[in-house]
Formats: sequence, structure tokens, C-alpha cells
Amino acid sequence: MTETFPKEISHNLIARKPRSLWGDAWRRLLSSNTARLGMVIVTFFILFSTLSHFFWEYNPRTDLDYSLKLMPPNLFPTEEVESIHPFGTDKLGRDIFRRVAHGGWNSLRVGLVAVGIALSIGGLLGLLSGFYESMPISRTAQIILIGGIGLGLGAISAWIAGQPVQAFIFLALGVVVAVLENFLADKLAARVAFFAGVGLLLGAGAALLINFPTAVVCGVIGLFIGGIAALPLGGTLISSVIMRMMDIILAFPGILLAIAIVAMLGPGLDKGMIAIGIVSIPMFARLARSTVLSVVREEYVTAALSVGVPQGRILFRHITPNTLSPIIVQATMGLAGAILSAAALGFLGLGAIPPEPEWGSMLGDSYRYLTTGAWWAVVFPGLAIMLSVLGFNLLGDGLRDALDPRLRV
Amino acid sequence: MARYLIRRLISLIPTLLGVTFVIFLLMRLIPGDPAVAMLGEHAAKENVERIREQLGLNRPLFLDSDALDQGDYAGFFDSQYIRFLSRLGHGDLGKSIHRRMPIVDDLKLRFPATVELSMFAMLLAIIIGVPAGIVSAARRNSVWDGISMIGSLIGVSMPIFWLGLMEIMLFAVILNWLPIGGRLSHDVDLTVITNFYVIDSIITGNTPALLDTLKHLAMPTLALATIPMAIIARMTRSSMLDVLQADYIRTAHAKGLRERVVLSRHALKNAFLPVITIIGLQTGTLLAGAILTETIFAWPGIGKWIYDAILARDYPVVQGGTLLIALVFVFVNLLVDVSYAYLDPRIHYD
Repeated sequence: MTETFPKEISHNLIARKPRSLWGDAWRRLLSSNTARLGMVIVTFFILFSTLSHFFWEYNPRTDLDYSLKLMPPNLFPTEEVESIHPFGTDKLGRDIFRRVAHGGWNSLRVGLVAVGIALSIGGLLGLLSGFYESMPISRTAQIILIGGIGLGLGAISAWIAGQPVQAFIFLALGVVVAVLENFLADKLAARVAFFAGVGLLLGAGAALLINFPTAVVCGVIGLFIGGIAALPLGGTLISSVIMRMMDIILAFPGILLAIAIVAMLGPGLDKGMIAIGIVSIPMFARLARSTVLSVVREEYVTAALSVGVPQGRILFRHITPNTLSPIIVQATMGLAGAILSAAALGFLGLGAIPPEPEWGSMLGDSYRYLTTGAWWAVVFPGLAIMLSVLGFNLLGDGLRDALDPRLRV
Repeated sequence: MARYLIRRLISLIPTLLGVTFVIFLLMRLIPGDPAVAMLGEHAAKENVERIREQLGLNRPLFLDSDALDQGDYAGFFDSQYIRFLSRLGHGDLGKSIHRRMPIVDDLKLRFPATVELSMFAMLLAIIIGVPAGIVSAARRNSVWDGISMIGSLIGVSMPIFWLGLMEIMLFAVILNWLPIGGRLSHDVDLTVITNFYVIDSIITGNTPALLDTLKHLAMPTLALATIPMAIIARMTRSSMLDVLQADYIRTAHAKGLRERVVLSRHALKNAFLPVITIIGLQTGTLLAGAILTETIFAWPGIGKWIYDAILARDYPVVQGGTLLIALVFVFVNLLVDVSYAYLDPRIHYD
């Protein structure tokens, strides 16, 4: 830049080094007190639990000493208790500090994997939904969509008749209907009636090989498949199907659905991760969708469209990077939420299988001893949950301020 | 408006059908046979079969293709799922497998308990959350702002089951002020009319029962209110900050209106719409998601009931309870959407 100026001016210019978007955000993040505090807490918990997991040997199966049952915290060895237990011991005489350290590895891991599941599935669904909501669907995508509808609904018919070939017949029907998009296009009723008739004949014809009643039912299904495939369905169909599915998940309170899923899969940390992940999918899908809907209206997308950039490239090169910042913020906050949910599942006895340490299940194990005065067995694991969640929330708050360009001065 | 309402109600149908489908499928996929759970591990095989038939568990899940092969069209549709739907259509939620009680009767007992608790919690959350948010926004970057924002961050980070335990430790174990759990002490008599104990004790003029009920409500209310309180405070603050930058606020200041009038008449009215959304959504969550609070404080509400039923494989209870919760949740959200039109004349529906 400076080279273009005459020499006598150039040495008076103060040229700022170019900064990237992310570099800028990073600097803003570092300048915020809350974000720094969040980073310190998060880093502490990650280091503490990772180092404990790898360098501090702990075997929960052999950790048991009834003579040290429910001992209050001591920082120095005493006559009764020779070992040091900064957080006291629990009902089996296990050192709580040690179990909090090792439980952290499990709790943070559950949060991370759950958010990973929710982010990858929900994010992708949201991107597709937002994109197809606002873009005309390409011909290939249209054929795949209608073919997919044929295959999906045909599978029902195939299952009833016990005749797998029907799924493929209806797949073919869907593809053919989509390819013949101009056939009777100006008379929708006639088009629907025609293809519904074709579907009826195909379904009933194939199922007649089984017996007459099956043919009746499969014919009716074929009628519907043909009719639906003949409708001018476009991208909004994909979008609304995805969002209706999200609505169904959202109609359940998260923790209840997670409990039901864990009950179905059986207890265990990995099952908890899956359950919490599934429950958090809609959160990311909705966010990604609404962000895409606003980004699509930007001039650079219109420009890319007008010079003929393929749709897939627009979605992943032009739109996706611009939806990242709210998603990063949501992922950080989501981590906090996932750790909380994991702890709740653990507390209800649906998380880690004992004696595996995990913050929530440590609370669930010990809270009955609260009335006997053993406060330490409840206070410390809970404090660990709260602080780590607070750390991620602080970081998420700071990230939102750092990444939100509207707040830039 | 009426057309919008009808359209919204129609669009609920696929969602609700999906909800029944998911509940049904989840319950059937949970391992374990309810007939065995009912009779015990060592029950005779014939008895188990008989119970399975009574409960309809011997029918196929969705459609019966064997019946179709024999030309039995009615039998084709006579599946567990269709039976479940048709019973729902008649308002019949079935009977609890373990307690053999109609689920509707249990709901009448338990739903008021949950509603009572969540209404108190919501009230507390609004009474504290909204003013905290307003003060934060009006005195941005002041000490008050700092305190209430840090407080609300801690609030949203709080594991409420832990908070509940800490409350028990402080108020019940150490100070011995409040009862540890339940809705009413055993030695207090109360004529139950509506199952809302606060209302019942006021109607019957029963002061000791009212005091006892409120004492039992105190700790669970505080625990349950924490998260919505924090969320409401944050939402109020950010929404107020948005509005306070608007031109009409500057105009109001410029023509010499007092700060209090500007805040309450001009800013709050316009900032309240998103806050109401949050309050609505959170009410739905509270009604539905009080499982943890109810478990800790032995509150005989709907959340604890469903949780116990899931562990006991009591299908009909889980189905009925979850369905009710999902319905409440969906309709509260609809209500929030619809209330927009009344609150904000700028929004038009077609």
C-alpha cells in the first residue's frame, strides 16, 4: 500500500498491519474481562482433568476403605486420619478430591461429544433447511428428492407386502415423475390424477403376486405416492420436513426426552452423550437455519448466483463460513448446557455406571448423607459442575461480544 | 387473526402426531416386558401371555400384515399404535400398570401440584428478574449492572439439583426453618378441593395449612426460579438496551421527561415483547421440566411421577404424562405467538 505514495509522504504514514477477521475477534476476546475469566476457568478444568486422567493413576474398582468413611476435609495429616483429603471422603471412604479430578474427565467428555453430535447433525440440517427454503432447487436435487420420497414411502408398501422390490418400483416412479416435470404441468389436477393412477397400478400389480387384500392396501399406498410425487414440491418441502422434525423433538422437555432415550439405550456415559446430543440437535438446527436465511439475502450470495457458481459451492464456500460465529457462540454455551444435563442424568442415576466417577453421579451417591452433616460430599462435586459451566458460559458471552460485528466501534 | 389461529392449530397436527409416534416408539424400544414387570420374574408363562393379551401387547406395533394375508382388513389396522391413538381420541389414557389406577385420576392429583410450584417459581423469577434487568440497562456498567449480570450468569450455570441440596442443607438441616420436602406436613389437615393447596387453604380459611403449604413451597420455588430468573434478567437488560438507543427515547429525554417516566412509559413498554416471549417459553419449560426439583424435594408433581414410571417401565403412565406435558408445552408456545398480535399492533397476520 505504502509504495504507491511518493517517498516524502510515505514515511509520515502510519500503516496499520492488516488484521484478519478472526485475529480481530481474538484480540477483542482477550480485552474482555469476562471472557478472560471464562478462559482461565475453562483452561483450568480442561488441564486439571486431562492431566489427572493421564498422569494420576486411579482405579475406581479398587478404591474403597470403610475405615475412612465420610471423613471431613483435612489439609494436614491428623492422628485419626493419616492421609490428606482436601475435599473429605465419601460413603465408601474414597477421596473426593481425587474423584472430582477424575470425574471431570468424564463430565467434560460427555459435554464435548454431545455438543459434537448436536452441532454436526443439527448444523447440517439447519444449513440445508435454510438454504433450500430460500433457493430454487436444482433439477438434479429435485429428481433425488422425489425419488427419495418414492423410496421412503415405497419402503412402507414393501414392508407390508413383504416384497422388497416395491421400494425400488416406487423409487423408479419418483424419478420418472421428476424427470417428466413438464408433462401435464399446466393442468395440475390431471397430472396428479395420472401419476396417482400409475402408482395405484404399480403397487397393486406387484402385490397381486402375494394376494388380493395386500394388493388393495399397496394399491392405495401407490395411489398416494404417485399423487404426492406429481405435486410441484420443491426446496420448501425439505425445509419444512426438517423443521417439523425439530418441532417434534422440541415438543418434549429436554431432560425428559434425554431420560427416555437413556432408558431405551441403557445407562452409561456413552449413552448419555448420545441422548444429550439428540436432544440438543434442534437448538443448532434452528440457529443455523435462521442465520442462513439472513446470510442468503446478502449481496455476495446474489453476486455468486448471478455469475453461475454452483449451488453446493455457494452453500459451503460462501454461506457456511458466514454462519460460523453465532454457531461457535452457541456451541460454547451448548457445552455448558450439555455438562449440566450430563450432571443431571448422572444425579438421577442414569449417567456413569458406578463406581466410575462423574460429578453428577457423585452428587446422587452422596446427597442422602447431607442430613447426617456430610456437607463436603455434596458441596465439592456440585461446585465443580457450577464452576465449569460458569466458565463456558462466561467464555460464550465473551465470544458473542467478540464475534458480533454489530458491536464493533 | 382467526385465520392465522386456525392455520397455526392445523400446523400443530403433524407435530402432535409425531409426538405420539415418538413417545410410542420410545416406550416400546425400552427393554423389558411390562407384563413380566407386572407379574414378577417367576410368573407362569400362561399368566404372562394372558396379561400381554389384556394389555394388547401381543398385537403388532403398527400394522398387521398377517391379518391382511387372511383378508382381515379390520385386523390389519388393529395394532398397538392405532389402538393407542384411538384411545387417545376418546380421552382415555389407560391405566397404570403397577398401581392399576386410571392415569387421568393420577393426573388430576399431580398436575395441580406441578402448576402450583411452577407458577410460584415464575412469579418469583419475574418479580426479581425484570427489575434487575431494568436497573442493569438503565445504569449500564454500574456496580448494580455488574452484580446482576454476574448473578444471572451464575444463575444460568447453576445445577438446580445442587442448589436444591444446598438449600436443604442450609434451611432444613442447619437452621431447621423449613421442612425438607413434600407439600404438606402430616399433622396438618386440609380439605382438598382443587388440589392447589394454596387456593384450597384460602377457600377453607385454614391459616395453619396455608402457612405450612407456603413453607413447603419456599425451597422448591427458589430452586426452580433460579434459571428463569437469570434468563429473564438478561433478556430484559438486552432488550432495554436496544430500545434505549432509539430516537424516541432521546426525544423523550430532550423534552425534559423524568428518567422514571422515560423508562417505564417509553422504554419498558417497547422492550417487553421479547421478555414476554421468554417468560412464556420458560413457563412451558417449568411446567414440563421440574423433574429434578420435584425429585429432590419429594414434590408429588408430574415430573417425578413420569421419571419414576420410566424407571418402572410403566408405559401408560409415561405415555399419558409425557403426552400431556408435550401438549402443554406446544400450546403455551402457541399462546406466546398469538399474544404478540395483541401486544404489538405492528405485527400483522394474514
